Formats: sequence, C-alpha cells, structure tokens
Amino acid sequence: MNPFQPFYNMKMGVVDLSASSAEVIPLDQEQVSRYLGGAAMNSAILEGYQTDALVFGTGPLTGSFAPASSLMIASFASPIFKRLCHIPLMLRTGPDMKFSGVDYLVVKGTAPEQSILHVNHGKIRILPAGNLQHLPVPEAMRELKKTFPAFQSVIITGPAADRGVSYASVSIGINGSLDKAGLATRMAAKNLKGIMLGGTDGLPFNRDNPAQGKELEKIISKEKNFKHRGFYSVLKMLEGGKDAGQFLKAERKKDMACYHCPSPCMTHVRYSWRDPGKKEVKKSEEGLLLLDHTGCIALAKKAGKNILPVLRACLRNGLDPAAVAEMLPQGQTLPDYLNAIDKIVSDNPPRMTDPSEAQRLFGGGVPPILTGDLLEKRVALAMVLGVCPVILLRFPQITDAALLSFISAREDVLKTLQDGLSSAISSLISPL
Amino acid sequence: MKEQETTEKPMTEQDFSLNLEDLRPRPAEKRHLSDYFMPPRHSFIIFHPDRCTGCGTCEMICSTRNVEKVAPVSASVKVVRDEKEGKNFSILCQHCRKPLCLPACPTRAIEKGEDGIVRIDKLFCTECGLCTMACPAAAPIKDPGSQEIHKCDLCEGDPLCVKHCPENALTFTRGKTFRWIKGLRWTSQLISFLLLVMVFIGTFCYFRTGSVSFACPTGTLQNIASSGTIVLVGVSSALALLILTVLAGRLFCGWVCPFGFVLDLVDKITPKKLGWPSFLKSRMTKYGVLAGAVGGSYALGFQVFCTVCPIGTLCRAYGVQSFFKSAELAIIPALASLEIGERRSWCRYFCPVGAVLGLTALLRLIKIVIGAKRCKKFSCIQCAEVCPVEIIDADKLREGLSPKIPMTECIMCMRCIDRCPYDAAKIRFRWQKAVPGEVKT
Repeated sequence: MNPFQPFYNMKMGVVDLSASSAEVIPLDQEQVSRYLGGAAMNSAILEGYQTDALVFGTGPLTGSFAPASSLMIASFASPIFKRLCHIPLMLRTGPDMKFSGVDYLVVKGTAPEQSILHVNHGKIRILPAGNLQHLPVPEAMRELKKTFPAFQSVIITGPAADRGVSYASVSIGINGSLDKAGLATRMAAKNLKGIMLGGTDGLPFNRDNPAQGKELEKIISKEKNFKHRGFYSVLKMLEGGKDAGQFLKAERKKDMACYHCPSPCMTHVRYSWRDPGKKEVKKSEEGLLLLDHTGCIALAKKAGKNILPVLRACLRNGLDPAAVAEMLPQGQTLPDYLNAIDKIVSDNPPRMTDPSEAQRLFGGGVPPILTGDLLEKRVALAMVLGVCPVILLRFPQITDAALLSFISAREDVLKTLQDGLSSAISSLISPL
Repeated sequence: MKEQETTEKPMTEQDFSLNLEDLRPRPAEKRHLSDYFMPPRHSFIIFHPDRCTGCGTCEMICSTRNVEKVAPVSASVKVVRDEKEGKNFSILCQHCRKPLCLPACPTRAIEKGEDGIVRIDKLFCTECGLCTMACPAAAPIKDPGSQEIHKCDLCEGDPLCVKHCPENALTFTRGKTFRWIKGLRWTSQLISFLLLVMVFIGTFCYFRTGSVSFACPTGTLQNIASSGTIVLVGVSSALALLILTVLAGRLFCGWVCPFGFVLDLVDKITPKKLGWPSFLKSRMTKYGVLAGAVGGSYALGFQVFCTVCPIGTLCRAYGVQSFFKSAELAIIPALASLEIGERRSWCRYFCPVGAVLGLTALLRLIKIVIGAKRCKKFSCIQCAEVCPVEIIDADKLREGLSPKIPMTECIMCMRCIDRCPYDAAKIRFRWQKAVPGEVKT
C-alpha cells in the first residue's frame, strides 16, 4: 500500500510552452517513495528535463493538517546563483496546487507569446496573457480577476521581469515572495507571466490528522516563542532586525498567517503617505503584507523611515527588496528612492554581493533564525515535506518524527519514511 | 415480463423537472404554549475579525465534515481575505431569527429547527442557489466543483471550526452569554424600581428636601398649564431629568423608568409579538398625547395625564393606601398588555414623558453610531433585532450603509452595543463624524 496515496493526487503536469501543449501524467510512485516530495522530488524530476525547465512541487504534507502546511517549492537553475535553487512559495499556493489536481508541475520550452497557466481539476490550460505585460502587479491582479477564469492563488511576475531585470522576484498575489534567486526572470524568459491555481478539488488525507495537528499545536503553544508572533517578532531574531523594526512603525498592524499556520510570522500594515509624483495634497492610505524578513532588513538600512513606500514600489514592480537595497543610495529623499527604483527596472544593473551557500540553495529568502548545519537541515526538512521553513526554524518541538506521523502511524512505515527523509535531506544539502 | 420492460423505461428530462405542483407547501408556523414563555434559542458562531489571521483552518476542518476530504471550497464557512486592506472576514451562517433563505427556497428544503439551527435538507435541495442570493451574508455556499449547497449546521451543536481555530477567532454561543451592559442595565432598572416604588414612594412626581427638589417634567408642564403661573422652583426641579437627557440621551427610559422595567419584564414572558396595524404606528402620537395632556390641564384646571400616568401610578402604588386605588392601578396591566403587539409599544407611541425627553434629546451631546463598514460582510443585523424600539434600519445595514439612529427615539438601552459581535456599535459625541470601520481621510 502506498502511504502517500491520500497525501498526493499522484499526478504531475508537464507543460511544453514551445509546443503550447500540456499533459497530466501519473507520478512515479517509486520516485515518491525514494524522495518523499518537495525540493528533493523536484530535483529528481528536473534531472529528466532540460536545464531550463522549471519545476513547481508540493510536499506530502502540503495542504494537510500538519502545522503551516502551506509550502510549494519552485526549483530551477538560478540565473543569479548559477546553480540549482529551491524557492519556498508560501501563503496558500501549495495547498491550492494540490487542490487543483496536480502535485508537481514541470514547465519547459518558451511560449511564442506572453502566456499564463491555469491549473484546475487536474487539467492545465495555457492562456494568452499579452494584456498583462508591463502592468504593475496590483493592476495585473485586477485584470486577472476581471478577465481570466476563477482562481484561488496566483504566482505572477511584475513589469521588472517583463523587462528582463535580474533582480525580479515573483509575487504571490500582490504580496511579493521570498524569491531572490531569479525565478521571475526565468519565467519571463519563457514568456510565462504566471500560474493560476483553481484549487476547487480536495484530498482526503488521514482521518487522525486533525487531532494530531491540534496535539502538535498544543505542544508548540507551550513554547515561550509561541507568544511572540507576527513579522516584528521574527525580525527581532535576525541580525539588524531590531533596527529595521523601528522604521516599520505603521498606523495599523494585523498579523497574518499562511495556510493552517498556528503562529503567524507575517504582518499586514497600513500607512499613510503622499505620493511625490502626484500633486495631490491629501495623503493616501496603503496596505502592505510584510513577509520578506531579510528583504525588509536590507531595505531598512538604506531607505530608513521611507521603507514602506519603497517596499511598496518594489512589490508593484515585482522586484526583490534585498537586491534593490544593494543598489539604493543611503540618506536620500523618497522621490529619489522611487526614481532609483524606476531606473533599476529600466537599466538592469548587475548584482553586487554574494550570498552564503545555504542562502543560495534555498533562494536567499528564508530568514536565518538558526545558523550552520541546523539551519540547513531544518530548512531542508521543511522543503521536502512541504511545511513552512520559518515555523520549523522557530519551533524545534516540531520534529521530523512528529511530522512523519501525519503520513502513517505504523512503525514499519514510519521507519521507511524516516530513512527516505534522511536520504532526501542529505541529497538536498550534500552539494553545499 | 411486459411489466418489467415498462418499468425499465429510461427517465426523461421532464421526469426530473420541477413543476409548481411539486413545490412543498410551507408548513404552518407551529406555536407551542412554551413559545410565549421561553424566548426562542438562537445559537450561532461569533466571528472576531481582529483575531483571525486568515489561516483557513476553519475551512479545512469544515470541509472534512461536508465532503470527507480537505477541500476548502466545499466548506460551509468561507474566509474572505482582503489583501489590500489586510482584513479577514468569515462568511458564516448566523442562523437568523427570521432567516431570509427559508422563504426563498422553492422546495422548502431549508428549515429552522426547534433548537434554532437552520438546516438544508439535501433530499429536497435542487441546488438552484436562490438561498445564496437571498441570504444577506451569502452564507449558503455553492460548491464550484459539485454545485452542491453547503450551509453551516453548527455541527449539530458542537462546531468543529470553533474547536480547531488556532486563534480563537470563532466562538460558539447558544444565545445565553453574559453581557455586561445587559447585567448593568437590569441591575440599574431593578434598583431604580425598588427605590422609586418601594422606598421613596411617590417621589418621582415631585420631591423636595431642603433646597433640593425634583419634579417630573411632564407633570411640571401640566402644572404650569393648569395653574397658569410659572413657579421657578418647579421649573428648576424638572431640570434634573432634562439635564440628564442632554448629557446622555433618553437614559432614563432605558435604565431608570420603573414602568419601562415592568414592560421589559412583560416582554420576557411574551416573546412572540402580534404587531400593530400601520395606522397605529406613528411615533408622533406621543407628542399628540403630550399636547393633549397640556391642553387638557389648561382647560380643566388640573394635571389631567397625571391621573392615568403609569409611572406615577406605579410610584404611588406600594403601601396600604394602594388597596383603595385598585381602579387606578388597573392602568398598569392595561398598558403593559400593549407589549403583545410590539416591544415597548407604550414608550414608542404614547408616553408623554418620553415625548418631553425626546424633544430634549434634540440637544443631546452623544449619539449611537453603527459602522456598517465593520459589519457589512456579515449583515448579522443583530443590533436591529435586539433594539426594543426598532429604530435601526436593517435594510440599510444589509446594503452596507451605516444607518442613522434617531436619538429622539433611542432609549439608550445600549442593547445594540452589547449584542454587536463586531464592535461596530459605539457611543460617540454628536459632533464626531467618524464611524467604526470607516477610515478617516
């Protein structure tokens, strides 16, 4: 019996943009047993395709009652780090991918025209998206909702990627993402504007999972860390986070969580500001979801108190805030910063700094709450099982055994799973 | 064999089509004797938007009950995430006292049980979706996959979403939760009743000790009319109640009036209302009664209304002498029986004391505001349902507009503030324009 059966649709979508064709094929059961899923499985799948292919995959626990089971992992050869990178895509993308009927999605070739994928009911459609080109992300989202089929989640690129900027970053809805390895640039090179996930199906998972999830939640709620929630709490754990937090004071804050996360690490802030480009006297209200901890720290160092409008400009253009921060001058006024961002989008200057190896592998966006081997192992565990890496870094009580018990309670199966997990993690971090 | 062949004839589309004669007749409204003594139960789930992080656990667990798999779109609860505003809303059945989905259903598949839970009978449901359109909160949710209608049935009294919400953003109430304003108001009404009726007997109409005096403002007006002279002490005595009204609206009516307390008690034992014909329902009537009382006093030379005033009668009733006033006391049950028509019927349409206070309330310093922006996604309209004088426009709330509350009619009972699960009803100074949920620009 395949213990993964209720956890996967056991289907993989393969899209050939060059041929404008898409097919859904059964997932290789042996491969799943060997690599379990997530980033390890993505790497294995990628081996069978050309180097320019993109693989979007979920873990076995994605969408299940395991805490923060929100993860989708995008794997590709990074044009920035010149190596295979795995990007964690959070919010609701992972579950919505699974509930759209496919567990993995391979995108190869280049579309003849700007296209967008729509995945639902285990079917993939390639739709023309020429009308979305060069539109800022919020406007593109508005257009998507107006003229495209219904969807639950979307991964979309912004005008920066359309212009081939290497700092471009994909955006989940209008909220940005942890992509710092050039996924957006790779998507744009394929003329792929985005992926819409319908998410109207479901998976049965295990009947005991809700109770297990509640039990695990109780265990982590006893941890002192549990009370420190929201973006600022995680920010404080990072180097330079306290200083950055001072600049992120906003008028209204609200903590937000990804799919089934008991301890949110994101915060929505509202702030009022005056657009220097417009002659309006009135200040306008803006809202932003803060999810990129490392990006905000980098940006706060340069933009200081102007961080929120500058971050907004980055997200509108689909730019990585951390990379933009490298290019920005210090101590400038807001109009100067906004002009500098426009210049980055039009000029595409080269990247300056070199991130660490672990940061390279996981796309540079995961906040380094832990250090060394522990960081690599915990992030790899999350990336294989499809659970948010931030929650695993914050709560060591969520062990690999506790997570695997969601898949099966039988000891013999658990042992096999444990072996598989160990080899999957080591295969993932061995190149480091 | 021949018979078998005829029975095996495939069914045509017409066999499945719904005709007018197929519609289930609406069952007659059952009324038990207990309905008149026990208020109907109103169990529902309260959503706390400030606590919700939008994790969607409620959708997950609900869908496992509905379709035995994790499929958030098949849940009876829907979390709406406003990415720009950073707000989360929950679309959830409120199990309204008068559900609009119920009459909208052509096959009568929706019924409200005696436990107060509104349920869909899947056997009769044709998935037409009319209930989703009729419901102001769009709580019956159409599954985009199976087209089935899913609606919360409170998991038969033990809601899973409430149990599994990690942020406690959902709480289940059987309609019997303790509310502090309610507790405070009943205590105030009881103490006022005991003091005015049993301790300081007759002092509501007129009371004087040393230089301090108090008088009923309506009685004072009649006194001036009947005697034709204005006594400064009398006028100043009436000011106490008027000043209270300027400062806090008609607080006296909601929190102090002993006859109001009697009416609230009578309301408890007659929860079902018969209603009044529309020609009797003019709130201006009480001003006519006031004018009549003053005019009558002028013409007859004595305080006409004071002889039948229920408040005054009640305040003078306790004691040995009350046995000799049984005819006068009959006014209290007579006027209290108006409660079978509408709540606080006397206060709404006839009370001249309320009329004087209502006119004074034109100068009030405070007002009650209801921010529809904060509650429009839910349209629970509980504030309108609990208002004893029915001055909250439920239709406006359903449209997402903040209703204007006529403070001349509001008795400041604060039931709306107490009941609102979304903190949308507030007391504000009359010059304040901010409404809860609306951002100042």
